[in-house]
Parts: sequence; C-alpha cells; structure tokens
Amino acid sequence: MHKSWMKRQSRLGYLFIGPNMIGVLLFFIIPAVYSFYLMFTDYKFMSPETHFVGLDNIRRMLNDDLFGVALRNTFVFLLAVPVSMGLAFIVAVALNKSVYWQKTLRALYFMPYITSGVAIAFVWMLLFQPTSGPINGFLRGIGIANPPGWLSTTEWSMYAIDIIWIWFMLGYNMIIYLAALQEIPEELVEAAKIDGARPWQTIRQVIWPLVSPTTFLLLITGLIMTIKNFGIIQAITQGGPGNSTTVLSLFIYQNAFRYYEMGYAAAISWALFAIIMVFTVMQWLGQKRWVHY
Amino acid sequence: MRIKKGLTGLIVGALMLGLLAGCVGKNETNGGDNGGGAAGGKVKLTMWGAVPPENGPQEVVDTWNAEHPDIQVEYVRFVNDDDGNLKLDTALSTGQNVDLYVNYTLTNLDKRIKGGTALDLGEFTDYNIDEKMGEDAASWKVDGKYYGMPTKKNAAFFALNMKALDQAGLSVPKAWTWDEAREYALKLKASGFKYGLVQHTASYVDPLDSVLVKNGYVKADGTSNLDDPLVTKWLETLNGMMKEDATTPPLGEQLTSKMPVENMFLGGESAMINIGEWLIRTSNNMTEFPRDWKIAFAPVPRLAAQEADMVKSGGLGDFIAINSKSKNKEAAWEFLKWYADGGMMPMAAGGRLPSSNAVDQQTAIDHLLGDYADSYDKESLEFVLYGDETPTFVRSIAQEVVDLRAQEYEKFFLGNQTAEVTVQNMVKRHNDWLKQNQ
Repeated sequence: MHKSWMKRQSRLGYLFIGPNMIGVLLFFIIPAVYSFYLMFTDYKFMSPETHFVGLDNIRRMLNDDLFGVALRNTFVFLLAVPVSMGLAFIVAVALNKSVYWQKTLRALYFMPYITSGVAIAFVWMLLFQPTSGPINGFLRGIGIANPPGWLSTTEWSMYAIDIIWIWFMLGYNMIIYLAALQEIPEELVEAAKIDGARPWQTIRQVIWPLVSPTTFLLLITGLIMTIKNFGIIQAITQGGPGNSTTVLSLFIYQNAFRYYEMGYAAAISWALFAIIMVFTVMQWLGQKRWVHY
Repeated sequence: MRIKKGLTGLIVGALMLGLLAGCVGKNETNGGDNGGGAAGGKVKLTMWGAVPPENGPQEVVDTWNAEHPDIQVEYVRFVNDDDGNLKLDTALSTGQNVDLYVNYTLTNLDKRIKGGTALDLGEFTDYNIDEKMGEDAASWKVDGKYYGMPTKKNAAFFALNMKALDQAGLSVPKAWTWDEAREYALKLKASGFKYGLVQHTASYVDPLDSVLVKNGYVKADGTSNLDDPLVTKWLETLNGMMKEDATTPPLGEQLTSKMPVENMFLGGESAMINIGEWLIRTSNNMTEFPRDWKIAFAPVPRLAAQEADMVKSGGLGDFIAINSKSKNKEAAWEFLKWYADGGMMPMAAGGRLPSSNAVDQQTAIDHLLGDYADSYDKESLEFVLYGDETPTFVRSIAQEVVDLRAQEYEKFFLGNQTAEVTVQNMVKRHNDWLKQNQ
C-alpha cells in the first residue's frame, strides 16, 4: 500500500518534470552529445557526405594560427570582468549611502544592460570614431595629441571592446552588489566605526569580505558570460580589423555559420567548454582562500 | 547578455524551425495543400529572394499572379547575409516550401548544388540560356551544367561627378589604369573635394580578383598565386592614395564609421565612386540627395598595363535556381522563363537590369533611370552597361579565402605590416587553406 503510493507519487513527479526534461533532452543533451560526435567528423552543413576523421579537427585547431589569435583575444576580453566588477563595487558602495539622485543614478547605471545590442554598437562606434568622435575630441582637448584609433586599429580594437563591455556589465554587477550591501548588518559597520576604522578601512576589511560570496558569483558568471559572448563583437567589428577582435566564440560562429565547417566548429566549441570548465574549477578550488560565507 | 540571448535564441529557433518545418512540410504534401495540380488545378510556388518586396519583387509576383490564376507565386524575403543564407539553407535542407531561390554568389550556389537542392536545368529543352543570356552566363556553370538561370546584368563601374571633371579639364575615360585613376583623384581633390575617390569595402578587392581570375588564384604547381606582383601593386596604389595623397579615406576610418560612401559622392564630398548599378537607386532619390550635376560613368580601372589583360568584375547575377525537391518544377520553370524574359522589369528601377536579350536595352535603361534620365551622362552609361567589350568575371572563390585576404590587407592598410609581409601571410594562409580543402 505504502509502496504503491510512493510509486504513484514518483510517477506524478515525472509527469510534472516531463515537459521540461523533454526540452532539456531535445535542446541541450542531444545537441551536446551530437556536437561531441561532430568533432570527430568533417561534417559540412549542406554537404552530402560526412566522414569520420578522428582527431583531425583537433590537430587542425592546434595548428591554426587564428585559433591562437582568438584565444589571446578572448583573454584580453576577459580582462573586462574584474575591471567591471571593481568599478561596480565602488559605484554600489557610493550609491548605497544616501546620495543625491540615488534612484535616478541607479537606473542610469543599469540602463546599458537593458538596451538593444545593435543600438549599443552604433552609439559606441560613433563615440569611438577616431577623427571626429567625441572620445578622441575630449582626449585631444585635455592635451593628448595622438589619441588611440580605437576600433580602427588592430592594437586598440580589443581594448575598445573591453571598454564597451565594462560599461555594459557595470549596471548588472552594481545591482547585484547593491543587493549584497543591503544584507550587511548595520552593527558590523557601526562596530568598525567605534573601533576607529576609517571609511576606507571599513570598506576593505569589513564590507569587501562580507560581499565576497557575491564577488565569487559575479566572477564565475561574468567570466562564463564574457567567454561565450560574441553578439556585441559581431555587431561592432565582425572580428576585424584584420582579426584583432576575433574571440573564440566568434571564431566558432564564423566557422559554423559562415563557412559551414560544423565539425571544426564543434571541436573549437569543446575547446571553449574545456577552458570554461578549467576556469570554473580553479575558482571553486581557490574560493576557500578568500570567500567568506 | 541580451544580444547573446537573442542570437542563441535565433540559432535554437532556426534548429527548431528546421525540425518543425520538416514535419509540417510532410504533412502538407500529404494533405494536398501543396500538392500542385492534383488537388484542384491550383499550384502554389514560393520564391525566396533577398530584395525587399517593395523594391520590385512584390509587383513582379502580383503581375504574374494576375495573369496566371492557376500558378500563384508567393515571395519570401531572406536577408543576404550569413544569417539569412543560413535560414535559406536550413529551409532547403529540411524540405520547407522553397520552389525557387535566388543565389547571389557562386560560393553559396556551390554549397546548395552539393547539398542536392539545385535542379539541373538541362532537363528543360525549350529555353537556351547561353543564347538568351550571352557569353557571360557561362561563368555560372558548375561542372558544365546550369543549376539555375542568371537573370540580371551586373555592372561595376566608376561613377564620376561630370561637373568636376569638366572644370578640371578631364575627359571621361573608356579604359584606364589605376595609376591614371590616382592622377584623376589628385586633380579632382585639388579642385575642392574632400576625397577624389570613395568605395564600398565590398568593391575594394575587385581589382585583385581581376588580376587573379586572369592569372589564376593558384599556380600550376597547386600553390597560392596571391603573390602575383599586381597584388602588391594594388596594395601600394591604394595605400598611397590613403596615406600620401589623402585622396581616399583611410580604411580604419571607413570601417569604424561604416562610411556612407554613396551619400558622400552624391553630397559632393567625393568626385568619384567605385560602385555598381545599385547606385542609381540612391542617385534617383532627388529629394534626399539633390544635385545639380550629371553623373558620368567609366569602367573600373585596371592594374595591368595592357588593356588586353583586363578582366572586369561584372558578369551576370541573381542566379535563380529551382529546388530539386520542389513538387512543382514545371510550374517553377514556366515562371522562371517569364521572369527572366522581362517579368522582372519592375526591379530595373532598383538597378536590376534584365540580362536576357529578349528584353529591349532601351526599355531597361528607361526603367533604370526613371524620371531623372537627364541627370546622367547617357553615352557613358550605355558604354559601361552595354558597349564595353571587356570580358567579365563573377567572383567564385570560397568565403574563407575572401576573409583571410581581407584580414591581411586590412592589417596592411592600418599600418600593422608591410606590403611584403601582407603578401607572405596571404600566401601562407591560402596555402594552408588549399591543403585543408584539397
């Protein structure tokens, strides 16, 4: 009697998660397994024949100069994550206190995050315009005779993308930090004050450790989000000029949907997966040193 | 985040659409909805093209539908970029309703033929494509067969500000070299223009392809021919125009501002533009781009010293294929013939001149120029469209090669590497690619 009730219960349970499981199976698990298989084939979309090629795609990837370039660009892109988080923390601390226009400022900082990517791309292209754009106009105004060419040069383009990405992520990081700051018990800050801590000391020794779980969360999600992102780069530079802004995710997109080299793209995807995995594991292992729950 | 979501959504959506459409397609044939003649005499065709419906295609199919109640055509637009072509390819390979579709590059066509989705038109004997379309059509043949029909005359040319030419005492050239064009640009700039020449980034490489089509992309020993001396010549000429003469915009500036080169030419900022027949669509728009001067036309200059060595970009375009899985091949063929032989005329106003000799040249030009015929130098226009006997080509190299070339010459024009290194890198990467794809 009890057993059959359990059985019925669990059957009911499966029924409830069923639709979702089908979705996960169809759109996550099967494609993932399939792409793992594709990695070992020369499958080209629209091409009638597919052969098993073993490790050829992986070998090709390791010998591909462009893969190296994309890898390096990806790491430069990732610099945006800690910078954006640092700035977001400062802004959040400032906005957590009662300052003028607090709500308006919060909304303004969050605005980029909810703005259409294409609009962002166009606005920033105008801002970064090397000769007539306002950013270089300003830099010239404060006495820099030869401001960088930003998106129009291979040396600066990736950093220009970083700046856009920092600006884009700032609002999101700030909101999460704000939430964390509000959780901090007032007594702790008060106690620090009584002990004679200066504001900067309070932030560094009390507030920062207390929000470390949030920092950890933002770091992991931020790195994953950034490493996977290609939309903003596709909209602004398409990986150029030259190949100075081709990051791994864009490289995958180009191989898969521009050249239809699905097998090769699958191999790079798994390399990207491995990189994200390594990053995440490293952070999980490292968190004990600095994350305080 | 939002963009990323959007794009992921798009890809997932495309995959899903493929799956769903696969089922739907089958159901429909079973249900007889798309079953053609058998169901009740009414055939429904779907044609995929990249021109927005309001720029001609809608009028074309409306005209056809009115005359042919038994064969109704529906026009579906896809955007001719990576995403759009992926959408069409997905539709083709999953058996959605695509009866006719337009190919804009040989590269894309090639994939679709390999995928078994383009019908060999050799099975129809009542229309001779070579005769109707002329010699240029042959560059669209794959393995000696027509897997579709080229319908439009491509024209690449320099459009010139005739008033400026007259003032500078320059004549409209009928054949010229890049060195001469560079001189023109200098003189025209001196007469008060910001730039002598502007061009779309898409037209940048035409001179390169001219050289390589003539001399071969690949040498006899199977290695890359991208180190042809004329490639270096091209790099240095354009670089000189950007940096020494300042007669053409620096590439970096052009890329980052997505420079609206047509507007610059029509607005009097530049005296010449390297462009094609689609310029007319903008230059006929006198309300937005008013001008009090005539536009003259010249062939694109050549890098080679000898006129006989020139092969110019052009040929025919809008290559319409019939899906080999279509249920209504005969009806599609009827429509295609009608379209090519003048049915497409409403599209001429947007620059799409019919290539079939069944269409009168004069009528086509009249459609093209519309109400503003007087604002063009007709003689030079007729020369670049119909008079110039220079052989033409349609670019046929793989997208990968187009891209790797662009990545290397961009670095050169931005001053990151010398012309010599650029050529070496192009050759190396081209060779790698050749090895990969032998």
